[in-house]
Amino acid sequence: MGRHVVARVSELPPGERKIVEVEGRSIGVFNVHGDYYALRNICPHQGAPLCLGDVMGTAAPSRPGEYLWEREGEILRCPWHGWEFDLKTGRSIFNPHKMRVRSYEVSVDSEQDESVETYPLSVEDGLVVLHT
Amino acid sequence: MSTVENLQDVENAAGVRHGIVDVDVHPVPRSPGEISQYMQMPFRDRYQGERRSMFNNPVHGSRLDSVPPGGGPKGSDPDFLRRQLIDEYGVAYAIMLPRTFCNIQPDPDYGNAIAAAFNQWLVENWLDQNNDDGAFKGCITINHHDPQHAVREIERWAGHPHIVQVATDSGARAPFGQRQYYPIYEAIVRNGLRLGIHPGTDGMGINHQPTPGYPTHYIEWHSTMSLAFQAHLVSMVTEGVFERFPELKVVMVEGGVAWLAPMLWRLDSYWKALRSEVPWLTRPPSEYVRDHVRLGTQPLERPDSDKDLVNLLEAMDAETVLMFSSDYPHWDFDSPTRAFPKLRDEMRDAIFSGNARAFYGFPG
Repeated sequence: MGRHVVARVSELPPGERKIVEVEGRSIGVFNVHGDYYALRNICPHQGAPLCLGDVMGTAAPSRPGEYLWEREGEILRCPWHGWEFDLKTGRSIFNPHKMRVRSYEVSVDSEQDESVETYPLSVEDGLVVLHT
Repeated sequence: MSTVENLQDVENAAGVRHGIVDVDVHPVPRSPGEISQYMQMPFRDRYQGERRSMFNNPVHGSRLDSVPPGGGPKGSDPDFLRRQLIDEYGVAYAIMLPRTFCNIQPDPDYGNAIAAAFNQWLVENWLDQNNDDGAFKGCITINHHDPQHAVREIERWAGHPHIVQVATDSGARAPFGQRQYYPIYEAIVRNGLRLGIHPGTDGMGINHQPTPGYPTHYIEWHSTMSLAFQAHLVSMVTEGVFERFPELKVVMVEGGVAWLAPMLWRLDSYWKALRSEVPWLTRPPSEYVRDHVRLGTQPLERPDSDKDLVNLLEAMDAETVLMFSSDYPHWDFDSPTRAFPKLRDEMRDAIFSGNARAFYGFPG
C-alpha cells in the first residue's frame, strides 16, 4: 500500500482532474464537488485512456419519453466508446456489478513528510494524497 | 525499405506476423477550405463541409483522444494518425476512406464536385505526401448517383500507385445489384481496383432509409445500418453481378458481421426452390459471397459469451471472409488488441493480415 502526494489542493479545484503516474500505473485523480476520487486510467472495455473522458451527469432510469438528468459532475464517460462510469466508485452505469474500473482512496493531508519538500505547503493549501 | 520488410521479423500488437492490414481508416480535412480549394466555382464558394444533418452521435463522433496535439480536427494530422494507429498497433497498410457525404446531394454536379475534390485532397495530402513507407492506400470516392461521372473519376485516379479501391456509401436510391451501376463495376474491374461500401448516408438527403420509415434515435439508426448492407449484398448476388463481372471484388466495411451466416443460410435455402427465377446463378449464393465479397470486422458484435461469437465466426467462414478494420478515429473504434475474443491462430492471421493482403494484392 503506497502513499503518494499527487497535488496541492489549490491545483485541483472542483471539476478538475489530474492524471498521475504512480507505481507504473496511470491513475486519474478527480475533484468531484470538493471530494476527491481516483480511478485507473484504463477502460476495462478496450483499454482506452478512460480518465481523459468527459466529466458530466447522466440520464437516470426513467419512463419512456421522460428525461431525468442528474449527478452532474459525477460521471466519467470513456473517450472512445462512451461508456459511463461513476467517479465515486468506479462502477459502470450500465452494469455496476459486473463492469467497473479500479478505484483508489484519496485523502487530503496537511502533515509534513519527506515528499512535502517538492510541494510547498501553506496552511490553507493541503496535499491531495493518493493511496494505492 | 518497405514497411512490410521492416515488420517481417516483429510480432505486432495483435500478435500477427508481417503487420496488420486495417481496411477502414478515416482521414479528415483540417477545414472545409482544404477541400473547396480543389473545386471550381460556383461550388468552391458553396461548400461548407456538409455532412449529414441528422443521426449524429449524441455522445461524441470520434475518439476524444484523437485530437492532434498541434490542433485541428480529429484524424486530420497524418503524423498523429501514424503514431496513434500505424505505430501503436503495427499496421502495415491502412485503407484510407474519407467521409465525403457527396451522395446525399440532390444536385449531381455538386455531389460530383465534392467527390472529385476529396480525391485530389486525399492523393496530395495522404498518398503522395506523408506516405514515405507506402502504408496509406487510398480509395477513389465516387458519387454513385451519377455513374457516368463516377467512371470518369475512377479513370482519373486509377493509375496512382497508392490507389487500390473505389469507395461509395451504402446510402442509395436503389440496391447495388441493379444495372445502372454496371458502368461503375466495369470501370473498377478494368482498372484492377476493388469496391468498398461504407455506411453513413443512409436515409440522408436523397437516399432511402433501409428501415420502414425513419428511426427516432441514433442508437436505432446505427444499429440498423447492417440492413442496407444485407439488401445490397443480396441484390448484387441475385442480380448476377458476379457472373457479369467475374473479377469484381467487394468489401463492406462498418456494417458489422454477425448477420452474415444466417443471411447466407436463408439465401441458399431459397435458391434451391427459386433458382429458376435467377437462373444465371449457377452456384449457391453463398459461394459467390465467399469468392467475391469480404466484410470489415468493425463494429464487431460482442455477446456476453465469447463462445457464441466464435461459433458465429466459424459459421460464416471468417477465416475466408473477414478483414480487420478499426474505423479510426471514430467513436466505435475497434482496438486490434482488445476488440476480439481469442481466435485460432490461422483465423487470427487471416483476419488481421492474410485476407486483406490477398484481397488487395499486397505482399506478405
